[in-house]
Amino acid sequence: MSDVHLAPRVHDAAAGSARLLLLNTGVRDVVSFRGSFESAPDLGAADDVVQSLVSNLLDKGTQRRDRFEIAAALEGRGAQVSFYSDGLRMGFAGRALRDDLGDVIAILAEQLRTPALDADEVQKAVVRAIAGVRRSLESTGSQASGALARRLYGPAHPNYALAPEDELAAVEAVTPEAVRQYHDEHVGSDGLTIAFAGDVDAAAVERAVEASLGDWAPHGRQPVFDAAADPEPPGRTVVEMADRRNLDVRLGHAVDLRRDSDDFLATFAGVFALGGNFSGRLMQTVRDEQGLTYGIGASLGGPSVRHDGHVRVNVTLSQENLDRGLAATRAEVEAFVAEGVGEDALAATRTTLAGQHVVALATTSGAAARLLVNAERGFDVGYLDRYPDLVQSLTTDEVTAAVRRHLRPADLHETVAGTLLDA
Amino acid sequence: MSAADAPSETAPVEHAAFDFVRAAGGVEEYRHQNGLTVLLAPEAAVPVVAFQVTYRVGSRNEGAGLTGATHLLEHLMFKGSERFNRDLGTSVFQVLQSLGGQINATTWYDRTNYYALLPSEHLEKAVEIEADRMRGARVRDEDLASERTVVLNELDRGENEPLRKLLHATYATAFHAHPYGHPVIGWRSDVETVTAEGLRHFYDTYYWPQNATATVAGQFDRAEALGLLDRHFGPIPAGPEAAEDAPEPLVHRPFDAAVTREPEQRGERRVVVRQAGELGAVLLAYKAPAGLDEAADALDVLVQVLAAGKSGRLYRALTDAGLATSSSAYYPRLRDPGLFIAYATLAPDVTHDTAEAALKAALHAVADDGITDAELARARRQVVADEAFGRDGPYAVVAQINEAVAVGDWTLFAHFRDRVEAVSAEDVQAAAVDVLDDNRLTAAWYVPDES
Repeated sequence: MSDVHLAPRVHDAAAGSARLLLLNTGVRDVVSFRGSFESAPDLGAADDVVQSLVSNLLDKGTQRRDRFEIAAALEGRGAQVSFYSDGLRMGFAGRALRDDLGDVIAILAEQLRTPALDADEVQKAVVRAIAGVRRSLESTGSQASGALARRLYGPAHPNYALAPEDELAAVEAVTPEAVRQYHDEHVGSDGLTIAFAGDVDAAAVERAVEASLGDWAPHGRQPVFDAAADPEPPGRTVVEMADRRNLDVRLGHAVDLRRDSDDFLATFAGVFALGGNFSGRLMQTVRDEQGLTYGIGASLGGPSVRHDGHVRVNVTLSQENLDRGLAATRAEVEAFVAEGVGEDALAATRTTLAGQHVVALATTSGAAARLLVNAERGFDVGYLDRYPDLVQSLTTDEVTAAVRRHLRPADLHETVAGTLLDA
Repeated sequence: MSAADAPSETAPVEHAAFDFVRAAGGVEEYRHQNGLTVLLAPEAAVPVVAFQVTYRVGSRNEGAGLTGATHLLEHLMFKGSERFNRDLGTSVFQVLQSLGGQINATTWYDRTNYYALLPSEHLEKAVEIEADRMRGARVRDEDLASERTVVLNELDRGENEPLRKLLHATYATAFHAHPYGHPVIGWRSDVETVTAEGLRHFYDTYYWPQNATATVAGQFDRAEALGLLDRHFGPIPAGPEAAEDAPEPLVHRPFDAAVTREPEQRGERRVVVRQAGELGAVLLAYKAPAGLDEAADALDVLVQVLAAGKSGRLYRALTDAGLATSSSAYYPRLRDPGLFIAYATLAPDVTHDTAEAALKAALHAVADDGITDAELARARRQVVADEAFGRDGPYAVVAQINEAVAVGDWTLFAHFRDRVEAVSAEDVQAAAVDVLDDNRLTAAWYVPDES
């Protein structure tokens, strides 16, 4: 029986159009919060580029106060607020001392509803975004992951990643007018959900949110995106990079699996047994037995209730071990699918996942994040309480069946980034 | 009396094998008869506990030919003992991760720590495992053979990262004699050639109760925790002098002996790192006092003034001015005199000279003109908030205690807020004048080779 009892303790309330999930954890003085709303981008029109810029500009001043006045108002209280763009939604996260939370919520609302979006700041944000793309060109991990995403998805899928040159062109084309228009048309209270965890005074938080976000209007738009993956035939992409002795490798293929699919948990548990942590098969063999890598793992990438995701194996290999390491990794994946998940491995996976769930709730930021993600998926709060029991009830037959249904070694794409040795 | 020293609401636990030493900031210190230091930090918010053992050994204890030994030994500590090993299905990872634990270890200049974060009911297993491998790790030739290539891959991963390479080059240039000059992961040739025998001598010199601090934080019973610690660590002799059959240790000096002292730096040093890449970086590193020096608190406030968010001076002078995509400053408190560091990652089309000049101007402005009352007040408020959030979850508590133990005084964790609140604006300016001296500067440039 699960020891997690969140549902009775979470106060689920409405403040205007916002849904609030309020959890008092017993910690003193501190509150973490995390929230998001539907931004409804048109991913076929590369709206994610301008959406990312908009999220980066929300903390650069409002129509009432410049960026330094906003910063002083937050930092003078030791509070933090940050914004992010995440595919079909935009969000924010932050922290504050209990007594400052009302003021911080008011500042957050001001930033969301009336950002300054000055032309000068837009230009600075464009320059920073260009720099970010150029720095990603130095990262073997970023290049390998991006190449895999482009093999598996079309441009309108939330998991797609623009090629660096295309991203640079898209960023350079953004104008202050486009930024303001995107904010006007895509930033609103649609699906607004905010989770608060810590030393929470529920009534005070509800009043504060109602006062500053209660009348925030929705934009009413619907997102435009492809829900299905669109993979190329299985193959290999090599991104040659100079001065990079360590190579990042990605193996992966698309999966017809959603976060609310009946066999999602079984598949998730199976992939975890393969490579979810140090006890997983890949670390035990390719790293611990054979010493071929510092880091190897397997996971489900980009799982959502709204679109397809993929299964992924990540491994880093020093250049002299590339071929041996790849061969060893593929051999272990093939053997894992052929043999199925053993009882010992599944037993360890079950208790690991159940225990990790409890540990993740041990911080206010972790609790707020889990509450929010759970709500974004459309799951009831009680799911977080049931999760350990759901995991513990998985059987080897169903996990093995799920693995064989969704993990197909012959269909794995391969991307490699770094400095390859001459053949 | 500060809040940190207010009497605990509960009396210390009485246990025959432990002496209660002191309490501060909700943490109690006990000392076992075998010299093991124990810190208990109960917090009943969630049923999770963190258990950590910090050994007072790090890369500062390494000499030529053994650089990276502490870190490599940390890896081998997971390769098993007679009781806990892969072949039996009882490796550290297999046992603790199957209980839902998050486990890891880290090595740094002054310490090595091993920790587990897990549901409270499994505390004993974590204690048992750490006690077992304190003296029971196998450190075998065959384990080194496979783990050496793992660490070489870890080294290669780090070499891929421009800022990490720059930092390594900075420390190597700033320190001519002190072991802080070599990277914690070691120089490649030493990692390639170190022997298991060499690592075993290292292990036999430093892995003893009198060189260790065990910390428990989260939801647990204090008396039960002391009982567990005595049961599992109690039988271990205090150190090699007390052990009947301990192998000859590598070095014959007390655990707290000093290492090679760095000579005074009397002139600016410069280093350039070139590597294929896109955008450059500038890093300024000034010789700085040890972490327990009386000026250290003022330097922490200086870091807040320079680098805490958009209100920080570096953000305004560099990032907001379009010279950098990011800029910051930090002062890692180390056991011996270390470095005060400020850096900027360059925006496109900005030269290294321009960024360096702007960084220096921002730093020297504090030395020349001091800080404002508003800046001091904001820095104090930020520390108050950081301290509160620093207790958000047991892992955050043990992580901070770990660094305080490494510096040499765990009560730094408990008293940090009070110490910062005692810093005046004049103290900050005086510390800036003393530290931000270009005769004690190492300036480092990362220059991307776009060809």
